[in-house]
Amino acid sequence: MKITLKQVMPHPLSSIKHGTESIWGNDVVLEPGKKIMLNAASGKGKSTFTSTVLGLRHDYAGVIAYDGKDVKAFTPDEWTELRKKKLAVVFQDLQLFPSLTVKENLLIKNTLTNCFSEAELISQLDQLGIADKWEQKCGILSMGQQQRVAIIRALAQPYEWLIMDEPFSHLDEVNTQLCMKMIHQRTNDLGAGFVLTSLGDDHQFSFDYTLNL
Amino acid sequence: MLQQLLFRNQDKKQLIIAIVGSFLGITFLVTSIHYLVKVNEFGRGTEILGPNTLIVQKRVNSGAVLGMARTDFSESEIENMKKEKFISDVKPVLSNNFDVSFQTDDPHVPYFRSDVFIQTVDPAFLDVKSDKWHWKEGDTLVPIILPRDFLVMLNTFMSASGIPQVSDDLAKEIQFKFTIRNNEKKEFIGARIIGFTNEVASILVPQSFMEYGNTHFALGADKKITQIMISGEENEFGLVEQYLTKHGLESKNSQMVVGRLKSIISTLILVILGISVIAVFVSCLVLIQYLQLLMSRNAYEVRTLIRMGYHPKLIIRSFFLYFIKIFGIITFFGFTVFFGFKLILDGVFSDGGLALSTSVSFYGILSLIIAYVLFAVASYQTAKKGVFKEYFS
Repeated sequence: MKITLKQVMPHPLSSIKHGTESIWGNDVVLEPGKKIMLNAASGKGKSTFTSTVLGLRHDYAGVIAYDGKDVKAFTPDEWTELRKKKLAVVFQDLQLFPSLTVKENLLIKNTLTNCFSEAELISQLDQLGIADKWEQKCGILSMGQQQRVAIIRALAQPYEWLIMDEPFSHLDEVNTQLCMKMIHQRTNDLGAGFVLTSLGDDHQFSFDYTLNL
Repeated sequence: MLQQLLFRNQDKKQLIIAIVGSFLGITFLVTSIHYLVKVNEFGRGTEILGPNTLIVQKRVNSGAVLGMARTDFSESEIENMKKEKFISDVKPVLSNNFDVSFQTDDPHVPYFRSDVFIQTVDPAFLDVKSDKWHWKEGDTLVPIILPRDFLVMLNTFMSASGIPQVSDDLAKEIQFKFTIRNNEKKEFIGARIIGFTNEVASILVPQSFMEYGNTHFALGADKKITQIMISGEENEFGLVEQYLTKHGLESKNSQMVVGRLKSIISTLILVILGISVIAVFVSCLVLIQYLQLLMSRNAYEVRTLIRMGYHPKLIIRSFFLYFIKIFGIITFFGFTVFFGFKLILDGVFSDGGLALSTSVSFYGILSLIIAYVLFAVASYQTAKKGVFKEYFS
């Protein structure tokens, strides 16, 4: 699925001067299957990018289109199918359910998509070093642990694009690499692409290309 | 898991208050509607005159005896009565203006003959099927409605003659005969009983037969209208009664008593019904408010589920099903308690000699269905509004 941004300018960012390299106010194409880093300093609109591309915000000028169709024209039925089968996301604020256990947080997504068995989910947690948190409530986990749960939850669905908004901000380098490895493998298996927003750190990963804000 | 996420950590106290309020409201609603219907049905079917119907005449006073006051009704008096909003219909009771006698005409029944007084009323006031209640010139049998006192008198006569008495059904099989005559001619016409009445003192015949007799056997000038039939509006019997008193009219006391009692009880039940409707409405409102509160507490969960790929309709359905299940349980227990009430109350009425029909009123059930459907619609709309609010946020 090709994502295009034509002269997109979020209203809250319209008063800021953006460079010629910025995706804001220019034409940008997110080519299918590419691994993209979105690099920007704080306050430049990384989270705004995530929200607008995912159709959660409509307060912008210009057009965001999936395979040529304006996202503002999508119905609730179409958004549901897209979010279930084509678009995966790791939000900056993670959006986990703190009162549910890790198991329940993962199963509530996996029940919808039926991607993995419970054993596979536990194995993924194990790869990221938090298998012992399976029955613990997410609300009592550290931010780093929660980020790892959110990443596994995002991967528990088929997707063509994985949008990640600063997903490693609370992780050390070792855990970041473990997460990148898992994300890379899953994305390759699906033949998908991803966009990773970052404050400038490329996490020693070779991206297809970089976008700036 | 969706249920666990959306319905955890509820403020059960508010839910229980709403449930108890709805339960009481539903119970009183169905009970009051049931007994309102039953009280209005009371006496129906046992009397051949329609419901809320009175036969009225002018009260005879000294002036009337001395010929100074009229005891008959003029056309304008009847028209004025029709204008009253609590009177649904007024029709004259026509009497015979010819000589008529009534006798048995059956080999199995001893001979009995008497001069009688016959009357006719508009068919709209009678609870008889129209195919039974008709006569035309040339017909050999006239359908009649007999005063029950007449049957008692007949039975007394038969008993005194050492002949077994007859029941209502048996009496309907006996052949009778009218002899109608004037000073010049007479005619015999068979008659058969099709029903009995406690409210009219004369034999009732179809209008066509009365017109035939009055046309061909009239004794002189047209008879005056001394009795009229009044049909009062449901539950407004008190106003009819006031009108009769004010205008010097009177009716048979038993008719007045039943009408008055039905009117009072219906009004009381209507008050209870009103309170029940308000109770159901308010408690449903509390339940709906509780749903709104629940949705507001779960705004984050709803929003996140939608972002994860849950269809808004699936989330709406979860809230909707939860609340219609609750209201379904309330309705079921409300109906069960009503049924228990009904068994006790029917027993009390029966012991007191009031034979109310024991079947569950259709309108009672209908009121439950309507309350349930309205609640279901309201809860669906509330859930839809709440979920889509998060969808667009």
